[in-house]
Amino acid sequence: MASPEPVAASSSDAALIAAWQAGDEQAAAELVRRHARALARFLAGGGAREADVDDLVQETFIRAFRAVAKFRGQCQFRTWLLTIGGNVLKDAGRRAGREKVVPLDDALRDRDGDPHEQAVAGEAADRLRAGLARLPRMQREVFLLRAQQGLAYEEIAAALDTSTGAARVHYHHAVRRLKGWLE
Amino acid sequence: MKDDATLHDAKLQELAQRLGAHAAERLDVEATAAALVRRLHEREPQRRFRWMQPAWLRAAAAVLVLAGGVALVRRLGPTLPPHPSHYVAEDLNGLSAAELRDVLSGLDQTLNQTAPLPSEPGLNELGPEQLKAVLHSLEG
Repeated sequence: MASPEPVAASSSDAALIAAWQAGDEQAAAELVRRHARALARFLAGGGAREADVDDLVQETFIRAFRAVAKFRGQCQFRTWLLTIGGNVLKDAGRRAGREKVVPLDDALRDRDGDPHEQAVAGEAADRLRAGLARLPRMQREVFLLRAQQGLAYEEIAAALDTSTGAARVHYHHAVRRLKGWLE
Repeated sequence: MKDDATLHDAKLQELAQRLGAHAAERLDVEATAAALVRRLHEREPQRRFRWMQPAWLRAAAAVLVLAGGVALVRRLGPTLPPHPSHYVAEDLNGLSAAELRDVLSGLDQTLNQTAPLPSEPGLNELGPEQLKAVLHSLEG
């Protein structure tokens, strides 16, 4: 059998998915290059320990590639991937015997600039992470998809299989509660 | 000028956007991609094996059922009654010689279609007892 035509880095996600399904492993690698960092941010924002992020990213991609036939293009591939990441994170939390992992991420503090500002920013970030961990999963994921990943409500709703209105309500509840904890 | 709520929203969003930034920076994307391709590659033969397993199992199950069935038939074979317990000839007791002749003629025609016996004597020459004896012999 002839090997499939290699897919260029400029190809769309849909083309890469089709190529992967046809047996092109490099298409899978290209999808990882495109989306791994955003996924890592989402996972870390959702409470993953930094040391675990690499494994969780891989596990998320493995699950996504295994289930890619179910992806109908209802949202962007990245958004779909992030929702799978949410499931992976939840399962990891269960396995570790803790639903929510709230690490103190030193990286949230700027290395440059005024030490006082760094300390304040670091403290605020820590409180935000702690607050996120206390939110219901749906509110946390909607908040991260909206505020961290910059997605539209329509996109979030399609990915989480809910209505745009419900996504908007989840976001506003999350913001209200987080503000209360940050103040 | 932005009000307090807007400033808070902006601050919250800025903080959210920085969440996980370090984890993302630290991630070796090329190594992750390579590891993932390797893992996908490793899973492929396993997946193929899983696909083949039911076929093997089905084939083995079919052979077992077949062998079991043959063994069962062989074991039960000798215990089966060699002849039917009910003789058709018993139902013929009330028939007259002419009616018995008709039955035998019909039977004779059927037998002649498969194995013609031209040398057999005609049924017309046989009496009722002889005809019954013929019917018994035909039943085995």
